[in-house]
Amino acid sequence: MDLENQNRVKNMTEKFGGENIIVLLGAAEAEAAGLAAETVTNGDPTYAGSLAGVQLGLKVYHAVEPEFKEAVDADVYDEQIGMMEMVLDVDSIAAEMSSIREQFCKY
Amino acid sequence: MSKIRIVHYINQFFAGIGGEEKADIRPELREGIVGPGAALNAQFKGEAEIVATIICGDSYFNENVEEAKAEIMDMVKKYNPDLFIAGPAFNAGRYGVACGTICKAVKESLNIPVVTAMYIENPGADMYKKDLYIMETGNSAAAMRTAAPALAKLALKLAKGEEIGAPYAEGYISRGVRKNIFREERGSKRAVDMLMKKLKGEEFVTEYPMPDFDNVAPNPAVKDMSKAKVALVTSGGIVPKGNPDHIESSSASKYGKYDIADFNDLTEATHETAHGGYDPVYANADSDRVLPVDVLRDIEKEGVIGELHRYFYTTTGNGTSVANSKAFAAKFSQELVADGVDAVILTST
Repeated sequence: MDLENQNRVKNMTEKFGGENIIVLLGAAEAEAAGLAAETVTNGDPTYAGSLAGVQLGLKVYHAVEPEFKEAVDADVYDEQIGMMEMVLDVDSIAAEMSSIREQFCKY
Repeated sequence: MSKIRIVHYINQFFAGIGGEEKADIRPELREGIVGPGAALNAQFKGEAEIVATIICGDSYFNENVEEAKAEIMDMVKKYNPDLFIAGPAFNAGRYGVACGTICKAVKESLNIPVVTAMYIENPGADMYKKDLYIMETGNSAAAMRTAAPALAKLALKLAKGEEIGAPYAEGYISRGVRKNIFREERGSKRAVDMLMKKLKGEEFVTEYPMPDFDNVAPNPAVKDMSKAKVALVTSGGIVPKGNPDHIESSSASKYGKYDIADFNDLTEATHETAHGGYDPVYANADSDRVLPVDVLRDIEKEGVIGELHRYFYTTTGNGTSVANSKAFAAKFSQELVADGVDAVILTST
């Protein structure tokens, strides 16, 4: 996750409280999604950004995960995300995301 | 024993300062840990401590090498460390080169152990693997998870003066060092055992890995040789009599460029070989045997080729490093292209 986005997540968490934040990802691959998810839960695994060593433990989901899909308007979802849902490897993204949540999510 | 004191070098990106747009920042010293130092420190488990972190922009370092080196050396000296760590640089080319350069400088001037880490294809790895212990890492910062513990482990060993094992056991990039050791079984038995495993399709580990040479894709064929300007290039060491530029007989550090406009035939009186890797008698008696000027003049007259280029390029190929050879070719190929050469005949020995 780039340095600027790490700062944004960190600042918003301080302002609103970790329990009030959900991070929604749109990365195209499971590995990239996992790295971003790890960054906002267990800290930046590359140790380059402001979240290095900072364990926010935020709730984090990917836009193609069922948890998100079921929570939003089906028509809007179809229009905005339906296409990507078809081309992405949803199963491996979902598996990676839930593994990160199980390990590091605090909320 | 007191804690091992470490100074750590990282670039602007890993310090959280910024990416390419901040790559021109000058060396900066910070007390304690910054960025990936935290990952290393967690692995030291109290045995060692990063007392200071030096940060430098990759562009600044590589564009002002001597200045940056001097500034950084002054910073390192202040802390009187027992060990110096740079990186990991993963596949960031200029960062890798900076890590290697500064590690070598610290090792040479302070005589303390140094270690860095990067991806094997990082140009810094090739430049410095002979001088330094470079831990091999994955190609992106996502590999920090595995890189940091491995780097920390080797760093502690180096700092404590423990014996460092073979590259495959420790995980560092092979330095090209050979060491005599005693084995239980003699060579012939081990070779036959390996062969048997190979025949059975089982796994075996060679005791003499071949270097990795890259492949060079051939250029498209020359459409009309009768109009082509052809140049001769040789690694067979043919030089004008007396070897005027003193090209080394092995492990050449240079190549020669010589005019053959006035030659239809190379003779004992005009040319010889500088090559020290084969019996030179026949090449000295008639250098056309290695650099076929006579035959090319013939086919030039017959119209098989358009023209023989007036210069030939030569070096001695024995023991000459791939890196040197590449550098030679990179240079003279540009001249060949500029001179309008369409094809090159490469002759060896």
